Amino acid sequence: MCLAVPMKVIKVNGTVGSVELSGVTMEVQLTLVPEVKVGDSVIVHAGFALSVIDEESAREAVDLWKDYVDHSE
Amino acid sequence: MRSITIDPITRLEGHGKIHLFVKDDGELANCYFQIPELRGFEKFCQGRPVEELARITTRICGVCPDAHHMAAAKATDAVFGVTIPPAAFKLRTLMYNAFFAGDHTTHFYALGGPDFVCGPDAPAAERNILGVIAKVGLDAGKKVIGMRAAGQKIIEMIGGKKVHPVTAIPGGQAKAISKTEQEEIAKLGDQMVEFAKFTVQVLNDIVLSNKAYLEMILSDSYAHQTYNMGLVDENNKVTFYDGKVRVVGPDGKEHAKYEPARYLDYVAEHVESYSYLKYPYLKKIGWKGFVDGVDSGVYKASPLSRLNASDGMTTPLAQAEYERFYETLTGDKSGKKMVHSTLATHWARVVELINACEVVQKMARDEEILSPNVRTIPTGIVGEGVGIVEAPRGTLTHHYRTDNNGIVVEANLIVGTTNNNAPISMSVKRAAEGLIKKGSEITEGTLNRIEMAFRAYDPCFGCATHSLPGEMPMEVVVHDAESGEVVSTTRRHC
Repeated sequence: MCLAVPMKVIKVNGTVGSVELSGVTMEVQLTLVPEVKVGDSVIVHAGFALSVIDEESAREAVDLWKDYVDHSE
Repeated sequence: MRSITIDPITRLEGHGKIHLFVKDDGELANCYFQIPELRGFEKFCQGRPVEELARITTRICGVCPDAHHMAAAKATDAVFGVTIPPAAFKLRTLMYNAFFAGDHTTHFYALGGPDFVCGPDAPAAERNILGVIAKVGLDAGKKVIGMRAAGQKIIEMIGGKKVHPVTAIPGGQAKAISKTEQEEIAKLGDQMVEFAKFTVQVLNDIVLSNKAYLEMILSDSYAHQTYNMGLVDENNKVTFYDGKVRVVGPDGKEHAKYEPARYLDYVAEHVESYSYLKYPYLKKIGWKGFVDGVDSGVYKASPLSRLNASDGMTTPLAQAEYERFYETLTGDKSGKKMVHSTLATHWARVVELINACEVVQKMARDEEILSPNVRTIPTGIVGEGVGIVEAPRGTLTHHYRTDNNGIVVEANLIVGTTNNNAPISMSVKRAAEGLIKKGSEITEGTLNRIEMAFRAYDPCFGCATHSLPGEMPMEVVVHDAESGEVVSTTRRHC
């Protein structure tokens, strides 16, 4: 999945890592976010973690998405 | 006949698919491009206070949140009929250019540029930033990271948060900046301009000095004669945050120049049965199908189209690069002759990157940005407003209508990538026609060159389209079109 939503970093292995959202995990490139660590939320786009964002922003975005999904069902 | 579906397009957001219909003898019969759309977002906005949209729309897509923040803020200012103070205008412009430069950097170095830097026949695994670093040197990676960090720092200082800005509110900005912050932004601006110069060097050393790449840029396989859209200032120079929308024909003649609020007089949307996505076109010319030329209403909205739609750049280094771009590709540095090559979009992106860095550098030294007067409190309501900015991927339009209490009753968004739906389809088809010859084998390299035609647009379906976690596996389907039998299916997740 390539989604422009925040995903949680669950593994860091050099410049590659695993991220997770709602039970979906994927491998991403971490080259652009050298400061990243396990537990951070990152914006994932096209297989790249583009930026690390704070917990509050991540939660807001995820909540909004859940709201959107509920709304569209 | 068999059908080849390329999916996913490596490194691309969303679920774009390219369908190639290939006859048994290898001849290409047809080709089209398909993506699912995020439906219902406009409906999702209904019933909410309009001032919330500048926050909501940024969170729905994390790729270009700043572009949505700004377009939403501008539309909301218009809904309340308020003109923002000059300091707020400058702070927004400054922050937006910082974002723009960072986004273009990401595309040039990580997402699309590697097609050039590493070459189209490099294995997919190398056609990414690591491959670029291998070519350009380790130092480049550090510079790219430094540049993106500089942009994010500026966004954090002006926008309140480094990724999802929150400070653009109806009537202006929620906060002013301090002298210390201004000084830091000025330093970061200098650093960004140095990075822009470095990028020109990379472009020179690796792309332009390589004849094969230059030939590929100029190749007919990647050329498209469509109308060009972009925001311009009063001198018809490229601008990203504010201006009039200018549309210039494939012949270089101005078709229209209009205030954002009048966009519906000029742009209409065509629907195809195979895609939820709409195909915007120029209303006064009309939809004539997926065809080139002055009689077809198809237009591009991309870095290339912005350069074509303008008479130049607002800053010296970017203007010099603009002139070199047109001189090299058309023989006329004035920019009056259009560049039609899709792959030249990468170079146009570098011209814009330089401009955005220079605007940051210059505006950071404008004392007016220190003014504490950053907001005009709205006192009335108009009930309708349009906000247009140039998103990195094309003209972004937010249009809201509200009731007298400012509650949204209708929202219409035309996002950057959506503008380019028709040209992307056409570019893919043209590239496929040029590359897939009767009887020839379709190699990985051929497929990648076809993908390159549309990666040049930096298409992002993060907001143009969306599917939700857990849905839609990626698949490659090859089937015999005569019998309809599936020859093979490969499923994979991005």
